[in-house]
Amino acid sequence: MSEPIRVAAVEDIDEGEALLLQPEVTGASEPISVFHGEDGGFYALDDECTHETASLADGLVDGDTVECPKHSAAFCLKDGRALCLPATRDARTHRVEVRDGEIYLHPGVPAQA
Amino acid sequence: MSVESVIVVGGGPAGFAVVQRLRRGFFDGTVTLIASEGVPYDRPPLSKEYLAGTTDVEAIRFEPAEWFAEHEVDLVTGDVSSVEPDTGEVRLADGPTLRADRVVFATGGAAALPPIPGVEQSHDAGTVLTLRSLDDADALRARLGPGRRLAVVGGGLIGAEVASTAAGTGTEVVLIDPVDPPLVAAVGPELARRLHDMHAAHGVEVRTAAVAQVEAGEEATGRALRIHLDDGSEVAADTALIGVGMVPRTALAVAAGLEVDGGIVVDETFRTSHQRIYAVGDVARLRTDDGELQPRAEHWEHAVLSGGAAGAALLAEAGPSAGPEPIESPWFWSDRHGVHLEAVGSMAAPGRTITREIDGAPAVAFRVDETSRVIGCAAIDASQAVRVARRLIARGTVVDADDLADPDVPLKQLMRRR
Repeated sequence: MSEPIRVAAVEDIDEGEALLLQPEVTGASEPISVFHGEDGGFYALDDECTHETASLADGLVDGDTVECPKHSAAFCLKDGRALCLPATRDARTHRVEVRDGEIYLHPGVPAQA
Repeated sequence: MSVESVIVVGGGPAGFAVVQRLRRGFFDGTVTLIASEGVPYDRPPLSKEYLAGTTDVEAIRFEPAEWFAEHEVDLVTGDVSSVEPDTGEVRLADGPTLRADRVVFATGGAAALPPIPGVEQSHDAGTVLTLRSLDDADALRARLGPGRRLAVVGGGLIGAEVASTAAGTGTEVVLIDPVDPPLVAAVGPELARRLHDMHAAHGVEVRTAAVAQVEAGEEATGRALRIHLDDGSEVAADTALIGVGMVPRTALAVAAGLEVDGGIVVDETFRTSHQRIYAVGDVARLRTDDGELQPRAEHWEHAVLSGGAAGAALLAEAGPSAGPEPIESPWFWSDRHGVHLEAVGSMAAPGRTITREIDGAPAVAFRVDETSRVIGCAAIDASQAVRVARRLIARGTVVDADDLADPDVPLKQLMRRR
């Protein structure tokens, strides 16, 4: 669908932190956040919570989940699944690859579950 | 007896959470949700975005109407007139009698009207309002705007949110509460003071007094209401919004012979005194396994978690399962004057409060017990602190008071320390 883009080096995103990428950078229609899960993995979701206007990059990463800073809706970083109310819609995932210490994002390509 | 059918009475967040949990848990029996207002919607926006007119009813539904059909949930719009626990029969006010192996009461509550002279008459006349439902929010919104004058009685969460939203529409707002500041038990004195002071800073007139009497005021004041306060002063307003708490809707449960004591009494799986009947959300009152009756919980989170827990208990009855999910420390949020307030646990439990300042103002308050464990937290525009505190509470992590107070110590770091 699209060429992967290099978004950061592995050491640029601490574990439990996220990097917010604007559409100008990714070419996607919506902002995307790349998360460094506490399981060590890197994951990407559409940044906006599926419940209301809030940035998941400002949320709390716990294990392989992220919890929205506004109303505590939680999403699985791996497959985007909405884990609890008030969110009922899953978050859109994007495929992330780590190669030679660099993080590559495939905007618009779903993560492989 | 196996469980092959469930009827949920009530379409608020608790009732919806039961249905959602059942279907997410692959319950393969029939599920019926009876809701007097039809497709379930979320209530917190009623005093905020929905009241302000920045969101609409479709956006605040948990799921669109099609979801219920897709998930084989029979959504019945109507009122229940009686429930017969021994047979599982649920009689609709103007319809057939349904039957299920289990019935869940998620009947919620009604806004309380204080026994103040004149309140009931003005409520009947449509000038004294309460806020609980979509219809209530529509009625209130129709009475907001420039040139209108609104008296908000009660400075708790609903009152403060309505005052904030109304002020944002250009309405003149007078907020009346005998306590200054309100919410100390919920967020601690430091944050309560800061929050209450925001009203005046946003053009809301604050009166510290109790309402003594309400009367029609056209002749005396040119406004529909003349509100007498117990300090001898008066407030003229077109509309009054009463936000002084709620009364659980227990009439159906009382008539069904269930144990009711300030709420429908339930055990830790949310089962009532009758084994066929569960109760969840605002209407339920927990008696813990050691026999102690707990205060009823009225926040959104409890509604959702109790609904989910009852759903899990029903799944366990229907087949092997992991069993009910634990209920966490109570958590709530509120929005006023452009700030986002959250709190978790208890700010009133024995212990001491440690505040963390951001930009020179108290932004986070931690309640810490004598063993140096966090038992409560409230935060203004610092929700990450509450997310972290919730986990510190759940894990019983011992914390250093200096770290809590120091804005340079990242809170996430406390969570990850062992």
